[in-house]
Amino acid sequence: MGTGLEGGVEATVLEQGAAAAGPRGRRPRRSALDVALQTAPIAVPYLMLGVLIAVYGSVGNGVFTLGQLNVQSAAMLPLLLVATGQTIVILLGGIDLSVGGVVSLTTAIAATRFGHGGPRMVLWALAIVLLGAAIGLLNGLLVARLRLQPFIVTLATWSVWSGVALWILPTDGGSIPHGFIDWANATPLGIATPVWLVLGLVVFWHWLKRTRPGIGIRAVGSSENSSYLSGVPTTVTTMTAYALCGLFAALGGLFLVTQTASGSPTVGNDYILNSVAAVVIGGTSLFGGRGGLGGTIAGAAILTLIASVIFTLNISSFWTPVLTGVLLILAVLANSLTQLYTRRRGIA
Amino acid sequence: MSRMLLLRRLAGNRSILLAYAGAVVLFAVTSAFSPGFASASHVRILLIQASFIGIVALGQSFVILGGGIDLSVPWTLNGAAILVTLFANGKDGPLWWAIPLVLALGACVGLLNGLGIALLGISPIIMTLGMNVILSGALLLYTNGAPTAVAPSAIQTLATGRVGPVPYDTLLWAGLAAIATLVLTWTALGRHLYALGTNRTVALFSGVATLRVTVVTYVVSGVAASLAGIVLTGYTGQAYLGMGDPYLFSSVAAVAIGGASILGGSGHYLGTVAGALILTVLAGLLPILNLNPAALQIIYGLVILVTVAAATLPGRQAVAR
Repeated sequence: MGTGLEGGVEATVLEQGAAAAGPRGRRPRRSALDVALQTAPIAVPYLMLGVLIAVYGSVGNGVFTLGQLNVQSAAMLPLLLVATGQTIVILLGGIDLSVGGVVSLTTAIAATRFGHGGPRMVLWALAIVLLGAAIGLLNGLLVARLRLQPFIVTLATWSVWSGVALWILPTDGGSIPHGFIDWANATPLGIATPVWLVLGLVVFWHWLKRTRPGIGIRAVGSSENSSYLSGVPTTVTTMTAYALCGLFAALGGLFLVTQTASGSPTVGNDYILNSVAAVVIGGTSLFGGRGGLGGTIAGAAILTLIASVIFTLNISSFWTPVLTGVLLILAVLANSLTQLYTRRRGIA
Repeated sequence: MSRMLLLRRLAGNRSILLAYAGAVVLFAVTSAFSPGFASASHVRILLIQASFIGIVALGQSFVILGGGIDLSVPWTLNGAAILVTLFANGKDGPLWWAIPLVLALGACVGLLNGLGIALLGISPIIMTLGMNVILSGALLLYTNGAPTAVAPSAIQTLATGRVGPVPYDTLLWAGLAAIATLVLTWTALGRHLYALGTNRTVALFSGVATLRVTVVTYVVSGVAASLAGIVLTGYTGQAYLGMGDPYLFSSVAAVAIGGASILGGSGHYLGTVAGALILTVLAGLLPILNLNPAALQIIYGLVILVTVAAATLPGRQAVAR
């Protein structure tokens, strides 16, 4: 169990070594292919990102500038925030389709309740973040206590919260006060807020990974039964994971309105597939237990840059969903094939 | 033997009878509050509206019975609606090839879903969610974002015309329901489908061609969603972007109300028919209660949650640690 917790590539190697020791206690030789397959989940997304940046650099102007870093980080951040929550739930072995409803609801509330800014706006923003966490907690409660399938629970709550968003804001509109937008566009030390927030997410992740819930999430994702028998509070862990996912979805929605300056009762629907895609392209296994935010950042950056490259090349933007969908299915396929192969090698 | 099987499945499955009882009670209550709700012309409209959910949910029933889920129905439906109007270009003449072609394309979507899931082992949620987004992008590319053609009059007649008191569309739905019942209750495919949804491994070892049966369920779903798209265009008179979106939640909700297990292996299309009727009456109830149309989406979600939770609770002891 101990080896499974720290995650990442090393843990996989250790686990495999232990499992492959076999009855004779002799480790089978690890071929170059094995090593390649074990590093692939994290190496491939960053390789893809490198290629994409190179392509973007060759077709676009001023790609390798601080300004461009600021712009792309801002474009990526709403997706990255939602995908951070999705990473946590997928590491747990679940999935959260309700992030779409939460993002829509968040923008709807922000666009109708922020007024002209000031303390009222700050209070509502805090309330929105808490609401996101509460919605996630409810998902977690239904999954952990009633033992319902995560996909059907979150499909249902996706419908409910989208409905609430439509009720609050029937069509795209509303307004976001300048105070809220300026904060996101500020450039402390010459670097834009979104870049700092991405760094903040990385720091948060390194902290979370070492906390009790962080370790528990990975453990439950690897094997719920073993974790339970080893004393991991599986119910609380599951609820924490879904609550964090709801919270990050709300944060994603809050950051999104700083860019759109209005609300939309349907905008969240785009974030369901994209957040799952960012996580899976980033090498996190849909079976739970393996992966992390490092890959998800690459995944979110890839999806964001694809849109930029398509825009720069003057190709129809309708290609973006097609490419995203294809990339998601290919990533899932590669992931399950790799898992199948390493498991076979481990048993052999 | 087989007839007993059907009777036993219906009588034994109280949830299906409950669903019909619920539909009748809901209809009676609504009619009591709203004069004209039970008039022949309004009942015809309700039946036509229910048929769209019902036809999409036919495919969804097959997929869910087999232990999967199809999240690609919105854009399969929308694609069929857009393509059939584009191919026909407002005239009845080209329909003889346009309708079969669109249904075949729907079958291809289902085939791809099924192969990805059964052959490549991709999770149904990811495969069909990905397919939905790919279809949306592909259709936007093909139409450049603005479909304009009007539905040919033959399709409009199919959706709104009637023989005697009964709409053509209701006959179509009844025919499909009869075929679905036949397949589920009396054929090997039906029995294999229940076996597959109950336990994939056991089904495989018992000689069920799990790959073929899984693929068939998604093909049925693709064709059903396409057919619903064609008829729905006739009803609205025109195809528009996003017309399929409500049918994701409503089709799953109809299956769930009909008493099917969302995990597969139990339930029947006859229950789903009752589910479609209930959802349609509920939609008609909203304006009477002065409720926001958005409430419908909240109701879909709550209905899925409550029915799934209720179906799971009695078995909870067995699963509980």
